[in-house]
Amino acid sequence: MPLLILLIPSLLFLVAVFALPLFRYTWLSFHADSVMTGLVAIPNQGANWQRFIHDTRYLQDLFQTLRFSVVSVTAEIVLGLVIALILHQPMRKRALIRSSALIPWALPTTVMALGWRWIFNTPYGPIDRLTQSWLGQSLNALGEPSIAWITTVYADIWKTTPFVALILLAGLQTIPSDLYEAAKLEGAGSWICLRRITIPLLLPYLGLALMFRLAQAFGVFDLVQVMTGGGPASSTESIALYAYWNALRFLDFGYSATIMIGSFVILSSLILITWLVVTTARNRSQQSLAR
Amino acid sequence: MTLELENVGRNINKQWIVENICLTVADNECLALVGPSGCGKSTTLRLIAGLDPVSAGSIHIRGRDITSLSPSERSVGMVFQSYALLPHLTVFENLELGLRVRGVPKPERRFKIKGILDLVQLWNRADNRPAELSGGQRQRVALARALLRDPEVYLLDEPMSNLDAQLREDIRPELRRLVLEQRKPTIYVTHDQHEAMAMAQRIAVLHEGRIEQIDTPYNLYHNPESLFVARFIGRPQINCLKGDSGSIRAVRPESIRFSDEGLSGKLQSREWLGNSQLLFLETQQGVIRMMTSPDQGIPAQIRLTWRAEDEILFDADTGLRSRR
Amino acid sequence: MKATRFLILALLVWSLAPLTWQLYTSFCIDQALVTPFASLNQRWTLDHYQSVLNSNPPFIRYLLNSLFVGGLSTFLTLLLAIPSSYSLSKMGRRSSLVIKFFLIGCALFPYVLLFLALLEIARYLQLGNSLIALAVPYAALSQPLAILLLTNAFSDLPAELEDAARVEGLSVVQRFRWILLPLISPAIASTAILVFLFSWNEYPIALTWISDSGKLTLPVAMARIAGSSIHSVPYGPYAAATVIGSIPLILLVMVFQKPIVSGLTTGAVKG
Repeated sequence: MPLLILLIPSLLFLVAVFALPLFRYTWLSFHADSVMTGLVAIPNQGANWQRFIHDTRYLQDLFQTLRFSVVSVTAEIVLGLVIALILHQPMRKRALIRSSALIPWALPTTVMALGWRWIFNTPYGPIDRLTQSWLGQSLNALGEPSIAWITTVYADIWKTTPFVALILLAGLQTIPSDLYEAAKLEGAGSWICLRRITIPLLLPYLGLALMFRLAQAFGVFDLVQVMTGGGPASSTESIALYAYWNALRFLDFGYSATIMIGSFVILSSLILITWLVVTTARNRSQQSLAR
Repeated sequence: MTLELENVGRNINKQWIVENICLTVADNECLALVGPSGCGKSTTLRLIAGLDPVSAGSIHIRGRDITSLSPSERSVGMVFQSYALLPHLTVFENLELGLRVRGVPKPERRFKIKGILDLVQLWNRADNRPAELSGGQRQRVALARALLRDPEVYLLDEPMSNLDAQLREDIRPELRRLVLEQRKPTIYVTHDQHEAMAMAQRIAVLHEGRIEQIDTPYNLYHNPESLFVARFIGRPQINCLKGDSGSIRAVRPESIRFSDEGLSGKLQSREWLGNSQLLFLETQQGVIRMMTSPDQGIPAQIRLTWRAEDEILFDADTGLRSRR
Repeated sequence: MKATRFLILALLVWSLAPLTWQLYTSFCIDQALVTPFASLNQRWTLDHYQSVLNSNPPFIRYLLNSLFVGGLSTFLTLLLAIPSSYSLSKMGRRSSLVIKFFLIGCALFPYVLLFLALLEIARYLQLGNSLIALAVPYAALSQPLAILLLTNAFSDLPAELEDAARVEGLSVVQRFRWILLPLISPAIASTAILVFLFSWNEYPIALTWISDSGKLTLPVAMARIAGSSIHSVPYGPYAAATVIGSIPLILLVMVFQKPIVSGLTTGAVKG
């Protein structure tokens, strides 16, 4: 019993920070609470949800957020695996190299978001100058809607790949080396080793990185808010940014809460599906290993 | 009696881990608890130390009921299997910690620790950390910590299982000198029956949370009360043959002899043990283990026999000794 | 071997080139930024740093604010998480598993979505513009990671160490002081550094809680500089701010690489 008492403060804090907001949002989503109502909550019979279902801007943001999440997380996992494999090699100055690789992850997102704005600046940034001199035309990386989202994806990959790489590196270090030695005795090349040993045994770690990164990418906010402000033409606006605008620019708390609780439901189901897919893939690979 | 356990039991989630443990240990007596892993021998020790709560029964030390006292109020000295020395403290600091929390003043602490470390011949290693000591030295530090308390009862939980076989043999006389000369009741938990026989005056065999038999090493070997004890005590294991009317006849391997008549068999394999040899003989009663002198020849026609008084009878259903 | 070396070099370029460019920019005069290939009699300057450091409030202020919030929330997190992890590590398998799943769920939750409710709480309790109050949600948000890491550390300790101490008569507090805290100190260091990094970098909550320009944390201050104008080009001062804002963290990563890596990876290996 005294054991539980030690846990209670933490659990109370967690409930206050995670559970209470969800209840509050659910409650708010059935109320009008905006400048129109004088920031007083008045029941509005599901009008928020009516609006939410037909909100094409939300639909566009949902699509953009999912596109951002899927593309950047996929790239991060592939690139993270490559970096993990590099860092797994024996090398001199390992600590220094690891620290350097970690730096992008440790920097505040907003600091580098500002840096990217300069690097991708049109026409004075280095990237734009390169395309001007090589392709003879400006890339306009942050001003062109069809390109700007890719620029934000790039910035996200740059920042979070070290995190993925570290998780995968931890996974690589758990694979016993005699597995590779046995495979080499059988005449397997490095590609076969990667396909048949490394990736199957790394699946739990890949799954973990995938779930954590998908959840985080789905909530992308800092990066787009500072780097593009959601623009150009809302082409990089994410769900979290839209909810933020609704609350703090349009001062419509009721609808902002609706967006957040709706997004929470969508995200939970996505995570659940990912989890199911990952576990079945893991079980299948374990079965094939057992055979 | 100095240490008394009366019907002591421990219950977790409605399941008895140990049950109805009754033990008495006199001053100057060492009792060994043996049994297969999971039989409850360590749990019994932890109940006496107060590390786990007692669910039933009572424990007395010198007539004082300690059943619900905290470990520190019980005056027990305990040596753990892993020695439980703190890696970040020196030998001296490890020993000092208990004295410090019990409020012993500093000069006295130093005096006592010096005395104990001299006794275990480790005063010169007082400023070393446990990692810098050998396994045997660590064990002596753990022992020194128990001695330092000058407790009413000594509890040793597999104190030698982390040492290699040679070292164990070397340390046994040392351990007897240090612990048994304190003339306090000592309980020695081990899974190694040789160690139990070497260290203890009496041995309690535990099986599934209950005491099967408490007796002298001699009696456990020659007069086991149950089939379990007969099989557990003695290596190579006792031979069990089917007797008539639902009984089991058990015969020690060294009691088997070659003869002109009796059970016929065939040599399956043999092991040389230096001062003896162990023969595995296939008979229609199953494989029989026979221990004999190393120069014993093998007859062409193998027939096995033994003296009637070397045979121990058990009831096949209850596993208990049946007297003729 | 040669291929590995090339790949390592590529990795370093990939990680460090953007920062290097910021460093270069921060020392260039505006003219050099706009026309990089023109020959100029004077290319280098410290003006950008001067303007950033002498602005009102001075940039150092933001670093100190972040340091304060980071330190306080790390302390609060550990204060809450150490006892919780201890009790979780002593709990039965099934109940501890339930709590661990709950914690993992919280850790997965994109906390950005919480800002509105937290803002309401801050307004209701009048905690806006208080750096001390800001440490409270940070500590709460850090609980899942901290508890999971520390519980692993407690569970890895041999139980006999604590048993021996109980026989010797050490109370719970004394066991923490002499045995548990010294032995899990590597895990505490990992947790502390990860929580500190989180608090130092946190943006959405600080953005909505703090409006007083003297109390901004570094991430919000950076965003404010950026938000001041999108089309004009004060990129020299931007770059100088980026460099100054990055230096403390680069040092932190260089010094604490080991505990950071072990903190991130033990979570992965055991979770």
